[in-house]
Amino acid sequence: MSVFSSLILVLVFAALAYAGGLAGSSRWFMGVILPYTAILVFLGGLSYRVLRWAKSPVPFHIPTTCGQQKSLPWLKWSWLENPQSKGGVLLRMALEVLLFRSLFRNSRAQFLDGPRLRYGEEKFLWLSALAFHWSLLIILIRHLRFFVSPVPRFVMGLEAVDGFFQVSAPQLLVTDVVILAALLFLLQRRLRNPQVRYISLFTDYFALFLLLGIAFSGVLMRYFFRVDLERVKEVALGLVTFSPTVPAGVGPLFFVHLTLVSLLLIYFPFSKLVHMGGIFLSPTRNLANDSRVKRHVNPWDYPVKVHTYAEWEEEFHDKIKAAGLPLERE
Amino acid sequence: MPGISPQTQQAISERWRAAIIQTYPGLTAEFLRQEKDPFRNPVGAALREGIPCLVAELFGAMDPGKVSQALEGIVRIRAIQDFSPKQAVGFVFELRDILRDVLRAPEAPLGELHKRIDEMALVAFDVFMRCREQVYEVRLSEARRAEGFRKRMVSRDAGG
Amino acid sequence: MSEALPKHEELVQIRYDVPRNGWRSAHVDFRKGTYSYSAAPKNVQYLGMANPRHWRPTDKDWKLPPDWKQIILRGMKERLEKFRSFRLFMDICVRCGACADKCHFYLGSADPKNMPVLRAELVRSVYRRYFTASGRLFRGLAGGRELTEDVLKEWFYYFYQCTECRRCSVFCPFGIDTAEVTMIVRELLNLVGVNTNWVLEPAANCFRTGNHLGVQPHGFKDSIDFAVDELEELTGIRVEAPINKKGAEILFVVPSADYFATPHYYTLLGYLALFHEIGLDYTFSAYASEGGNFGLFNSHELMKRLNNKIYAEAKRLGVKWILGGECGHMWRVLHQYMDTMNGPADFLEEPVSPVTGTRFENARSTKMVHICELTADLIHNGKLKLDPSHNDHWRVTFHDSCNPARGMGLLEEPRYILRNVVNHFFEMPENTIREQTFCCGSGAGLGTDENIEMRLRGGLPRANAVKYVRDKHGVNLLTCICAIDKATLPTLLEYWTPGVEVGGVHELVANALVMKGEKDRTTDLRGEPFPAKEAAVHA
Repeated sequence: MSVFSSLILVLVFAALAYAGGLAGSSRWFMGVILPYTAILVFLGGLSYRVLRWAKSPVPFHIPTTCGQQKSLPWLKWSWLENPQSKGGVLLRMALEVLLFRSLFRNSRAQFLDGPRLRYGEEKFLWLSALAFHWSLLIILIRHLRFFVSPVPRFVMGLEAVDGFFQVSAPQLLVTDVVILAALLFLLQRRLRNPQVRYISLFTDYFALFLLLGIAFSGVLMRYFFRVDLERVKEVALGLVTFSPTVPAGVGPLFFVHLTLVSLLLIYFPFSKLVHMGGIFLSPTRNLANDSRVKRHVNPWDYPVKVHTYAEWEEEFHDKIKAAGLPLERE
Repeated sequence: MPGISPQTQQAISERWRAAIIQTYPGLTAEFLRQEKDPFRNPVGAALREGIPCLVAELFGAMDPGKVSQALEGIVRIRAIQDFSPKQAVGFVFELRDILRDVLRAPEAPLGELHKRIDEMALVAFDVFMRCREQVYEVRLSEARRAEGFRKRMVSRDAGG
Repeated sequence: MSEALPKHEELVQIRYDVPRNGWRSAHVDFRKGTYSYSAAPKNVQYLGMANPRHWRPTDKDWKLPPDWKQIILRGMKERLEKFRSFRLFMDICVRCGACADKCHFYLGSADPKNMPVLRAELVRSVYRRYFTASGRLFRGLAGGRELTEDVLKEWFYYFYQCTECRRCSVFCPFGIDTAEVTMIVRELLNLVGVNTNWVLEPAANCFRTGNHLGVQPHGFKDSIDFAVDELEELTGIRVEAPINKKGAEILFVVPSADYFATPHYYTLLGYLALFHEIGLDYTFSAYASEGGNFGLFNSHELMKRLNNKIYAEAKRLGVKWILGGECGHMWRVLHQYMDTMNGPADFLEEPVSPVTGTRFENARSTKMVHICELTADLIHNGKLKLDPSHNDHWRVTFHDSCNPARGMGLLEEPRYILRNVVNHFFEMPENTIREQTFCCGSGAGLGTDENIEMRLRGGLPRANAVKYVRDKHGVNLLTCICAIDKATLPTLLEYWTPGVEVGGVHELVANALVMKGEKDRTTDLRGEPFPAKEAAVHA
């Protein structure tokens, strides 16, 4: 149910954008107003979310330790899985953010009998998640060519590497293929793995379809229904230099792409997609296991009602005495 | 019982295992079926181990020891899960339908097999009852372990 | 005959249906054996907590305060502001499902709501409905869910089916820790008086008398004296076991089960023998006679209230530092919470082993050392005379307790000790030990006897791995360093893997320990004859 409704919603958005692009009447809306709104909502919303997390205190020191602690000097300490210093934490976080280390752990299974069905599947979760996120990053960087003039060298270089297969004209870019494949894999996993399907919400599918729509419209523009790149660059440069212009003849497909991207940006801060910002702040990962070495302070600590020794001795005075234990007050 | 090939026996095992797995909530069923690591999937592993033994015995010697042991692995788990007694041991009767489906040839000795299925069901019931009793026994022995010390303390408190 | 058969592929083609209605309808059948009894009003009252009354989870009316919904929502708001963990874990889950099959309760019960992701979604859905813009606007479409009494009952059922073991958080790409969510939800439930007696009664007892059974000072002294007598019978040596002794160098804190329960008791005998042998200047305290902290299973505030006694007593007695016995949750609190809650312990000194001179730099702020750290250091420095053959009747495996493993990283110390005191040591499979260890299924206040069926479900993955080493290596003793393990695993193993007993690490240490001036020992601490001696007798 939520699969279809989210798919239809994305298709409706895409169709509206296409129609608007054809008609040409709502170009200003889609080419200027919507992108600016999207950027504002994205930046504002994301910083609000991240600031709110960052501002909320970490009262207790609760890292999850995944290896041997640093204790006696002759015991082999697992400095990466159980860091006791800032450097260790940074590296642990870096591996988490750049390589999704915990997700990879998932695929370490042993004593298997027969074919390794499940084992393989989970390695694919890690692999496709990694492929998706890295492709997305590279594609974003590649898009700098539209926003900066002249195009920076490293962007050209990156694109050259990305297109090393050189199999078609226009040059086939590896990330385009990878991101589509990864997204499709993640989607089919969500649909076919019953556990994951059971826990999936409308919003989970919506995000996937939106990303697929963006990737798909981008690929169509690049390889099949080419749009005028000079004009696209005019739009993009206009946006970043605050002198927006929407030249005629950009092609409706471009508006589909741009509108879906804008929608994604608007949706982003209100959704689980903010996990990007959250991982850096996760107290089970970003703290060193040094809670016995350094005192962690709880900013909202407050006094509590305790049962003091004096109260205890008073209540059990005679029994303590009879048992021959020392007393503070005879 | 002649003429039941290993492939057919395997097919019966697979179907039976599937039928048992179906007694779990849908999505869990898929996990129980797929996950092959016995330490990540103890319930699925118990079925994987027990069912082929039971099918082999069904077409073989019906060795009481082996039947009981194979059922033990499965029923011991079902005895403490969210099942009524009927659901916990009723899976044995699923075999009837499966045999009817799989052994379509008229010469299949269904009568004798059904008798064996009944026998298995009764053994499963025995195992189930034994396990349920044991749940109360272990509960009792836990209480006794705790009580032993409490008693000692109380008797000392009374004395002193 | 095979002619008439359908093809093999056709036969094994099986369709599985996923439940269509999803998980968002909240309804729980409280079935006997799967939940813990509610807290008795006297315990709620004694601790000064909300809404003391008689009620049962099976009742239709839980006698909640009329404004219970506002109380819960207010409590949620407050905790969202006070705990980054809570807000973050409500926000960033992407429902990738990596945690789904990591929970021992899911593996043992096959109940989908025991998947960590779904357990958290039970409260996340309410969070979205009341605390996010999209949820307030789009309700169900944005994954929101109304807070109803049925939802509250569902919380009670499932958040008392989490042992706060943190196994899921090891596998989560964002480190989302269900233990954290469980702790917060239990706090919320407490605001309207929904709690269990097996948490609150021990907590009330600890608060009043110092230990979870409510044994009073003279009873505590008696049980220690009794252990001293028994150790003398076994070894011929009369050890000292000082209580409330001012000016001792070290305060020794153990979980109170060590002196009230079997098989913990043998570990206590082990401590006593070891301390005598190395001439440790230490004292027990009858006031701070419980290290285990039942507050951890209830609320951060109660945790702090109970934990307070340890530093207070260390200060009163004027000791230099504190030593802690074998206990799981106790060490979660001591390692990750104590210094923050009741520190700084600036009246104590950085711990130094009086025997070897080793500085325990990893405890220089808390000033509290784990006994396995102390003993491993002793053995490494050759300070103990050990005869591992005394343990030859045991074929031993080691069960990592959740909290020392995932909330501390105490993995190698006990293993180092065991390798030095036993000859037959076998590890369970890799994905069931160390940071991937499976919980006993009875932690976090679930270890009560009325909850036995749920515990048996939760204990299945652990027992299954024990069964593997029992069948493969003939293992007959599972050692562990947790009082809850020692109390509950004998029960679970009796059902799942008969023939495997449970013991503590320091029980085996004392078995192997050759004490100066001991009589000719013929039995271990349990009174079982030493195998070597037995063989000699037979020869």
